[in-house]
Amino acid sequence: MKRGSLKKRKWAAVLVVLAASGIVACQGNGDGGANLITVEEEEAEVVSLFSPMEKTNPDADNIARTAFDLTVGMAEEKLNIKVGYKTYTAENYQEKSYDDVTLDRVRNHMDDIYLLNPDTIQILGEEGRLADLSGLSSAQNLREVVRTANTVNGKLVAIPQEVVANGLFVNKDMFDQYGLSLPETPEDFLACCKVFKENGIETPVGANRWWLENFVFAQAYARMYNGGDVEAEIEALNSGASRYSDYMRPGFEFLKQLIDLGYIDAQKASVSEAIDGEGPDFLAQKTPIVMAYWGAANAETAYGNPDFHLQVIGFPSSLGQMPVVSITGFGVCADAENVEEAKKLLDEILSDESLTVYTETNRVISPSRNVAVDCIPALKPLYDRISENVYVLGSNAGMKVEQWGNTCLIVRKLLNGATVDECMAEFDRLQDESLEEKD
Amino acid sequence: MGMKWKWKQNKNGEDRGVPLLFSIILVFCILGVVVFSVSRKITAEMSASAIQNLSESLDLIQCTIEAILRKEAEFQRFIAKELVVIKDPENYIRTYETDQSMVRISLIRSGETEGVSNTGEVFSEEGLDFSSGKTIDGLAVSQSYLNYMGTWAYTMKCPVLKDGREIAVLYIEYVFDAIDRSLPEGFYNKRAMLYIMDAETERFVLKPKGMGERSAGHVNLIDFYRANDIVDETLRAEVGDCVANGKNILFYHDIRQKKALNYMWAVNDGAIYLIGYVPVEAIQQEGRTVNQNIFIVVAVMLIAFFLCCVLYYFNQREQIRIRKEREAEREMHNRQLAEALQAAQIASNSKTMFLSNMSHDIRTPMNAVLGFTTLLATDAEDPAKVREYTKKIMASGRHLLSLINDILDVSKIESGKVVLSFEKFALNDLISSVDAIIRPMAKEKKQIFHVEVTGIRHECLLGDETRINQILINLLSNAVKYTQEGGNIWLRMAGLKQRSDQYEHMLIEVEDDGYGMTPEYLETIFDAFTRAENSTTNKVQGTGLGMAITKNIVELMGGSIEVSSEVGRGSLFRVEMEFRIPEEQINLQFWEKSGIRRILAIDGDVRSCEGIRTLMEDTKVSVDTVVSAEEALRLVTDGSSPEAAYDMILLDWNLPDVDGIQMAESIRKQTGEMTPVLFLAAFDTDGMEAVFRMKNAGILIRPFFVSALQEKIREMQTVETDEEHAGSAQGLSLEGMCFLAAEDNEINAEILIEILKIEGAACEIAENGQLALERFENAAQGEFDAILMDVQMPVMNGYEATRAIRALKRSDAGEIPIIAMTANAFAEDEKEALAAGMNFHVAKPIDVELLKKVIRQCVDR
Repeated sequence: MKRGSLKKRKWAAVLVVLAASGIVACQGNGDGGANLITVEEEEAEVVSLFSPMEKTNPDADNIARTAFDLTVGMAEEKLNIKVGYKTYTAENYQEKSYDDVTLDRVRNHMDDIYLLNPDTIQILGEEGRLADLSGLSSAQNLREVVRTANTVNGKLVAIPQEVVANGLFVNKDMFDQYGLSLPETPEDFLACCKVFKENGIETPVGANRWWLENFVFAQAYARMYNGGDVEAEIEALNSGASRYSDYMRPGFEFLKQLIDLGYIDAQKASVSEAIDGEGPDFLAQKTPIVMAYWGAANAETAYGNPDFHLQVIGFPSSLGQMPVVSITGFGVCADAENVEEAKKLLDEILSDESLTVYTETNRVISPSRNVAVDCIPALKPLYDRISENVYVLGSNAGMKVEQWGNTCLIVRKLLNGATVDECMAEFDRLQDESLEEKD
Repeated sequence: MGMKWKWKQNKNGEDRGVPLLFSIILVFCILGVVVFSVSRKITAEMSASAIQNLSESLDLIQCTIEAILRKEAEFQRFIAKELVVIKDPENYIRTYETDQSMVRISLIRSGETEGVSNTGEVFSEEGLDFSSGKTIDGLAVSQSYLNYMGTWAYTMKCPVLKDGREIAVLYIEYVFDAIDRSLPEGFYNKRAMLYIMDAETERFVLKPKGMGERSAGHVNLIDFYRANDIVDETLRAEVGDCVANGKNILFYHDIRQKKALNYMWAVNDGAIYLIGYVPVEAIQQEGRTVNQNIFIVVAVMLIAFFLCCVLYYFNQREQIRIRKEREAEREMHNRQLAEALQAAQIASNSKTMFLSNMSHDIRTPMNAVLGFTTLLATDAEDPAKVREYTKKIMASGRHLLSLINDILDVSKIESGKVVLSFEKFALNDLISSVDAIIRPMAKEKKQIFHVEVTGIRHECLLGDETRINQILINLLSNAVKYTQEGGNIWLRMAGLKQRSDQYEHMLIEVEDDGYGMTPEYLETIFDAFTRAENSTTNKVQGTGLGMAITKNIVELMGGSIEVSSEVGRGSLFRVEMEFRIPEEQINLQFWEKSGIRRILAIDGDVRSCEGIRTLMEDTKVSVDTVVSAEEALRLVTDGSSPEAAYDMILLDWNLPDVDGIQMAESIRKQTGEMTPVLFLAAFDTDGMEAVFRMKNAGILIRPFFVSALQEKIREMQTVETDEEHAGSAQGLSLEGMCFLAAEDNEINAEILIEILKIEGAACEIAENGQLALERFENAAQGEFDAILMDVQMPVMNGYEATRAIRALKRSDAGEIPIIAMTANAFAEDEKEALAAGMNFHVAKPIDVELLKKVIRQCVDR
């Protein structure tokens, strides 16, 4: 009897609680005045960013937020600044390229921050359309290589979030198989290729139409960037006192030799896209040597998961293995509407904190001296050289003749049958044009 | 009955449950259909509303853009008009300062292909495509293109008319970014995607900042299709058709796995299109909320319903439990009542039958008594007939008495008033008395009565001899009764393994090879008032109480009784009981006095030998047993020395192939003539006359008992004379005695007077205790030899009178024998009588012999 009444009480209590919660749930929001508009969020200041990328919607499904978006997000939160993304993608080759549009937009100060390729950095820096970023606190942490590459007329005009290092990707197992040590100099490299060729490897070096210029840069500027008087030599080049063709010739002759000896299939290379062309043979261990950028060693879609012992080393040079570094960067339009906010934003996304996030996410070399990368063993030889400040730059904003794009185009001519002299004449022409512009 | 009722219940339960279940399911189905319909209706309405809503939003945007475009056209016309009146229009153009929407202004004189521009460059129409024929407010508008600023732009051209003649064409370039500034900062809570597409090139010319998503397909319509997975060719064709004809189109298509409303909204007659999508959930937020609320309400209702069901279920379960309990209780009560009724009916039937039996059983001897009494009156002169009749009257009277005794016994046992009186008794005496009663009965029916005793260690035990006797008599008389003539009756007493030193554990078996009993009868044999009634046995008279009494007495004594029987093959009753062994068992002095130290027992039966040895164990008399004559003779020969000589020989009369007398003589040749020889023989063994002629010889009736042996030895050692016997007979005479009898019943008083008169004694009757007391008080010393005291009397009963007499201050008040003569025949009555101060207790009806014996005992004392 007693137990029964206790049970009943419990039920009654449950019902009362349910009823109470129902009543509470049914109550509307009673407060608020006559104005029915809810308070709008105060819009943060918008800094416009022009880049080839669109912003990733954090809520979008199946879209991994990029490392860049993560750092932008951090900065937005910290500074209460909104970043408006603007982008342009050419529909076809007849349309203006991204670089063309970037130039137009910077010149018409359409946006605040731009992601710039090396050649546009150099052009816009020369035109004085980019703000000097050397005053940013984040600029104080930059590696020298970055500072050198992006300094135009004494002004630091762009800062990247990563240092793109290019190297030779070699199949160490195949080198070991034929008792070969990894090549240091062009001579070593030729000797290795010879052995591979003799052992039935048809094409010891897998190549595409984009990245062969790395061989040229490694030999051309090894001495200048490693022990030379960089400023003086660049000045000499800019003034015409020395010729780019003199620097470039050994590399082109070396490439010519590789082509002539059949170590590179020039015909195939001239029509091959990066990785798509040479990648499959390399992964199938038919080709022991290819060239690629740092990130390819981390990417599953590139060379991230080979069935052999992969090693990434520098390109052969008289000073040994030489990483080739090319640097893009963020620049601020000097006449932009929100220059100061843009600088603040940039300072934030280039801070050590942000760069750590970026580096850890993408596992790349950070432009900051203070941010180390936990690289995979395959990349260690390359990373060690860069850490020792041994590298050459694939682009240098200080040089009047843009290096990266122009050299690429001239190497293609070599692949298509031009002689080394003809190629050198092209460099001379470009140098002369730059000298004329200066005048 | 019960089962049937239960089945009906179940059936009813099912009948109720199934429609109820269907009703509930039906209600739920209806509820589900209603909720689903309402939800569908709401969704449809919301969908229509969403389309309407989006259409209105897009109309608004369209109008806004068209307004901008018209304003631009109007402004351009205004400039064109201005140019007519301006002196140096080229200079005006060159110096014109553009703004955020008008980024370039150019002029080409009629008839020329190149003109001036405010950017300072030479301007030509080259690169501008006006082929689409689209206009804004009448002004031709070019296809969209990426202008010198790196942003998407369009140019309108306006003729500069002077006096109706075109003198030049004014070109003004506008950027889409200007439109962007007039568009809402993201609509539908910034979840909608909005592009502006050039209809001709299908190139996306405006993507408002901050509204994009990676890989969202911002290049052109094909890129939009790719990014949003719009692969349906029919849909694409329909969209293409609409775009070509400047029509609007809205369609549903999932964008990133979310249902979205896609739109292609024509602006300026389809020169440009607003393109994008809105997730349906962004438009139908309120719809979703409504549906969610409906769901919550339905869920709450379901929960409430479920709770109600649970409550109902528990309530029902409780009710069912209570009902079941009550039903079970009721059923139990009914069963108990039925059982009680049945028992009552059985009892009633039994008692009716009993009464009927009793009526018959009592009437039969009564009839005999009365009948013979009548005959007696007629034939009073014929002494032979008188004796004959009186004998029959006596027999009938005894039978009546036994009937009455049985009835009383049963009623006493049933009322729990039986008190056992434990006294020392000898098995020998017990068997002898039983034998004495049963053997003649068996003999009468030419039956053979076998008595076997084996393995008994103690023959003197403590117990209610009378009751044990009653048990045996009941069982055995039944056996005799229900066994045909010439049958066999066995009485077996066997000692079982003792459970305690203090108790003799005994099995008594009574077996016969008579009619036997049916299994049905066996079940009720121990119940009172039942009797085996069949054609064979109905001539047997009895109360039907014997077995009930027997069982009750056995159980009262802590024993157990069981029966097995088969019709036509006989019955076997097995009684198991324990009797306490009295502390002083053995009279060792007897043996010493008798000079018996060694006995030789010669018995053909091994078990009998064992029995003798066992029983004689405690007597300290050395007993040798042999089973053959040869062995006996050998032992006797060996024991011829005085120390080893046997003081007595027990010889089996029925020793195989040996004549008992000869054997005895052979033994005596060795032991000498004086060695006593006792022949062991069954009670009714014939041809033993020779034994009586032998000196120092006798017969010991089987079964062997030490006490019987002692008695026999005593007999042999004491020469009893016939005179002594006569003397003892004389000692029982009441001749010359005078008694005071307290008796209120006149007939009884008369009978008593007559009986005593026959015995030569006088008797004075007092009608009650008071009178008896007064009479004795006034009597002279020694006037009465004894007082015969009835118990139940008016005024003063026997007990009180006795106490009063004993309390008198007369010298003989304490000594005069007072003998209770009462119909109160039970043991406790006897106890009470003795407690009151009486000397003896004699039950009515009066057994003259017993009375004489008692009186003599009292008087002699």
